[in-house]
Amino acid sequence: MDKQMRSRLEALLETVQKPSRYTGGEVNEIKKDWAGRTSFCFAFPDTYEVAMSHLGLKVLYESINAQDDLLCERVMMPWVDMMAGLMEQGIPLYSLESRKALSDFDMVGFTLQYEMSYTNILKMMELGGIALNNKDRDEGAPFVVAGGPCAFNPEPLSPFIDAFLLGDGENATNEMLRVIAAGRKAGKKRADILRDLAQVEGVYLPDLYEAAYHEDGRLAAFRPLDQTAPLPITKRIERNLDEAPFPTSIPVPYTQAVHDRIVLEIMRGCTRGCRFCQAGMLYRPVRERSPEQLFALAEQLVAATGYEEMSLSSLSTGDYSQLLELIRGLNQRFADQRVSLSLPSLRIDNQLQEALGETAEVKKSGLTLAPEAGTQRLRDVINKGVTEEDLLRTVSEAFASGWSSVKLYFMIGLPYETDEDLLGIADLARKVVAAYYAVPKGQRARGLKVVVSASTFVPKPMTPFQWAAQDTLEEIRRKQSLLRSALNIKGVTFNWHDPETSFLEACFARGDRRLARVLYRAYELGCLLDGWNEHFKFDAWMQAFADTGMDPAFYANRERAREELMPWDLADIGVSKNYLWRENERARKAEVTPDCRHGCEGCGLTRFEGVCT
Amino acid sequence: MKMLVVFEKMGAHRFLGHLDLQRAMQRALRRSGLPVTYSQGFNPHLQLSFAAPLSVGIQGEREIMEVPLSRQISEADFLSKLNKTLPQNMKAKAAVLLEDKLAPAMARMGAATYVLRPDAHFEQLAAAVPGFLLQERIPFMKRGKAGMREEDLRPLIYNLMVKDDTLVTVLATSSKGTARADQLFLSLCAFAGIQQPRCLITRTALLDERFAPLEGA
Repeated sequence: MDKQMRSRLEALLETVQKPSRYTGGEVNEIKKDWAGRTSFCFAFPDTYEVAMSHLGLKVLYESINAQDDLLCERVMMPWVDMMAGLMEQGIPLYSLESRKALSDFDMVGFTLQYEMSYTNILKMMELGGIALNNKDRDEGAPFVVAGGPCAFNPEPLSPFIDAFLLGDGENATNEMLRVIAAGRKAGKKRADILRDLAQVEGVYLPDLYEAAYHEDGRLAAFRPLDQTAPLPITKRIERNLDEAPFPTSIPVPYTQAVHDRIVLEIMRGCTRGCRFCQAGMLYRPVRERSPEQLFALAEQLVAATGYEEMSLSSLSTGDYSQLLELIRGLNQRFADQRVSLSLPSLRIDNQLQEALGETAEVKKSGLTLAPEAGTQRLRDVINKGVTEEDLLRTVSEAFASGWSSVKLYFMIGLPYETDEDLLGIADLARKVVAAYYAVPKGQRARGLKVVVSASTFVPKPMTPFQWAAQDTLEEIRRKQSLLRSALNIKGVTFNWHDPETSFLEACFARGDRRLARVLYRAYELGCLLDGWNEHFKFDAWMQAFADTGMDPAFYANRERAREELMPWDLADIGVSKNYLWRENERARKAEVTPDCRHGCEGCGLTRFEGVCT
Repeated sequence: MKMLVVFEKMGAHRFLGHLDLQRAMQRALRRSGLPVTYSQGFNPHLQLSFAAPLSVGIQGEREIMEVPLSRQISEADFLSKLNKTLPQNMKAKAAVLLEDKLAPAMARMGAATYVLRPDAHFEQLAAAVPGFLLQERIPFMKRGKAGMREEDLRPLIYNLMVKDDTLVTVLATSSKGTARADQLFLSLCAFAGIQQPRCLITRTALLDERFAPLEGA
């Protein structure tokens, strides 16, 4: 950025909301000299506050910057005022560290955390001076890559992204950068470097494959155009978390991030096998970090950041094999420094009471539980191995030891759900309220607050429900209103969301490459920042489907046959399609599959030698 | 005892809101391991008070905060430890040990000095200063608890003069009345009949009621 542009940027920053979203300069920011280094820009397609809550960004930021030959900078989606200002002033979207345009980087990597951020990616490329279509990128253009959970069905983004990474990115990102560095050094053509990238384990290059369709719209065939292109693409797995990089010093935002605290990833993967849960399938096998390593990481992070809060992250913290030892050790080390520990997504069975007692010494935060469904039958359908008894015992104990605020998360629109299951939610809420009043008045904390949240179920690829139809918008609205009247209970607040976002998520989560046209059209129609209610334009999205002749219901509301070829069958996540179907059948019969730590359920991961024990 | 700290908030740090600044300072103090005190309760936080919040967009050369101490420490020691953990470009310039019984810095505030550096129209602005100050009243609209109301800026301007290519002003800053430097600039531009140019504003000193620097107590 030249001097003149810098001064225009300064002037612009004076006029926008929260300018510190765009200035960088945080404590622990890393600025490296560009000379002789391969440059990577980690691009987060949502605002700074969301991005800086994301652990993956911090992991890659530190681990890439630790490599002498590489450098990593950050860029996020600007808010509408900054977006307009950048365009008006002719300033390209720039990285926070060195204020270079996205087009100056060797590789730009978007993280795909949720479907509704896809149009932001297009906008960021446009603002950053990168051609949207991968075929239009010239020799010097950055290689645009994408990873994260949604990269496991990358097809709707296929024309825009050069290469997707499926699976753990800690080491794969470095490998990709080095392939690009080597290729450029050898004077290779872009097309040849791309072919080299396709040889990195876990990398998918959409342009090396073609798809054919049946007349009714179903996928008929998917094949490589090039003999060297692998199919399926096997996901990357970091086998040992203690050996995988983890940050010890993270940038501390000035403006408050959504999750503004130290996050310790204690475990990756989950063996519970909840049938709706995509992360539970994608991130197998279970891998734990050792308490010793976590203590060391936590101490370095507290010293480096000055954060006052720390949370433990995993898909199922209660299943961490040495949870009590971990919590006790962290409390011991940090109580004097007033660092409080929060435990999100705790499952409501094992060891909870003891764990609760430990955290309460430092801080009393709200208790969040996720029964997901209102009746035992439906919890068996989704294989959420939690009983009403477990749940009520947990809340009773929490109320008795001073909690008064409980959040309960449910889903509506689950496969095989009936109205009786919905009314079961109200029933459960009533029992939670009764559990509070069962604690004698002097003993319980005042101000009972039970929040019941019901989100709309989105069938996700690579889960046992990948064949299922999502309820139509009308049906979801009917169910919401049924619940609304049933949950008119004193002390209980009911939260729900408009189902339109979930409907679009269902389209793109299970979309094929033809949906790229819809994405592009929606982007042209101004659909941006759709994760933010005030910017979500459902009508424009419907217009985009209509303009491109695509039917959203085909993707969201259609039940698939067992043998249908799925767009995401290109990926091998380790869990086999046969296993997923078997689980789907068991769901139909409301049969539970036990946690596979107690005996292998044959999901398919044992095919990989030494990965799953 | 408590420690009064003089620090700067220059350059890009002018974009930090007051809450952002508070958090940044709290975290710097936590990283430093200095003997600070924490509030009681379930959400213990570090006790820290600022003499006068600074509006977003304005730089501060000698901003002031006070930190209650849990044990004695020398001024020099405090200063060097804090400077090791402050964000870059947010330097602590002085530390002064004070008795707890001395009124908080916020309560001792009387005025603040600002330097205004406009991008354009400087000649016209400079020429307008004498006439501007001769006005008996300089009404402006202020957002209060009960909506917008009219207030008079004139008695809150203790001094305004031209110095080289800048305007230097001393404005009332206390519980009895506070004038904002950006408001002064807006009113001056209106008086001079020009469209408001960009203007870099720097607060250069915090003063007590007798116009002595607050840190000299």
